[in-house]
Amino acid sequence: MTKRLLMIDDDPDFVAGIKSILDAAGFEVEVTYNPKDGLNALQTKQYDLLLLDIMMGRGAEGIMIARKLRKDAKLREMPVLIITGMREQIAFLFPGEPVHPRFVEVDELVEKPVEPKLLIEKVNSLIQTAEARKAGKK
Amino acid sequence: MTDTISFSQEVSNLLYAAEGEPLRTCIQCGTCSGTCPVAGYMDYTPRQIIALINAGNKEQVLESNTFWYCASCYHCTVRCPQKINITELMYALKRYSIWKGQHKEGLIGPTFSEAFVKMIVRGGRSFEPVLAPSYIFSLNLREMLQEVTNATELLLKGRLPVLPARIKRIDSFKRMIGRIIPMGGLE
Repeated sequence: MTKRLLMIDDDPDFVAGIKSILDAAGFEVEVTYNPKDGLNALQTKQYDLLLLDIMMGRGAEGIMIARKLRKDAKLREMPVLIITGMREQIAFLFPGEPVHPRFVEVDELVEKPVEPKLLIEKVNSLIQTAEARKAGKK
Repeated sequence: MTDTISFSQEVSNLLYAAEGEPLRTCIQCGTCSGTCPVAGYMDYTPRQIIALINAGNKEQVLESNTFWYCASCYHCTVRCPQKINITELMYALKRYSIWKGQHKEGLIGPTFSEAFVKMIVRGGRSFEPVLAPSYIFSLNLREMLQEVTNATELLLKGRLPVLPARIKRIDSFKRMIGRIIPMGGLE
């Protein structure tokens, strides 16, 4: 069964790149280009994994989405992989310091630019652990 | 769902509280440009910027100084017959160009914003002497002298603090900021 992923990112060029990588690896990827549509899609459809950008819209809207997910009983179990260029985007604030590791509870954080191999590895491992978790609960 | 989105959609996604694509409703009446107090200093007037965005000329938009010269007086927004929030558009373009790390050379805007945000995050209050170095070196000698005399006069009248003001409970403030801006090294 092919896995369905949702990607929320506002950068069309980046999305095109990542999508082609994941398509080639045999995933089914859906894309929304703004946080509002992203939340709608999350609430109406079923996905196996969410790929999330941080800096969108007014600012760190990706984080708002991640927080909403963690409060939602239905969506809490969904694995989230954050792909962000945040360090570059707000690096002017505190250059060289690490991106805040615990600003929100997520499963993984990958920084742009992403290695294709690493990306697919992370996506696979996240989906597997999520399934294992589900199976363990039942 | 389309495969990619246009530049104008991309910009619309950055707008606060915008539904759909407000920029597409622009009728190019030029009221914004006629109203703008700093239009004379801009590469492209606000009307031209909207037209460029709708035409998808991304490079030309990012290379212009228009949104960095915007004084945020909101007069264009008030007078726009199509109710487009043009000031918000200027803010969105500023964010966009900072995130992409792409802006015109020799502008004061980006460095000034950087100094300002850093200052607020660290101290919680605006403190002008810290801001000055971000722009003062791009002035010519006469303007610089003028700036210095102004500062001295303000200082003598007690209008410019010598030491930055401290706010109470700076740690709580930093935690609050940390929830909005996810940056490293805080908390």
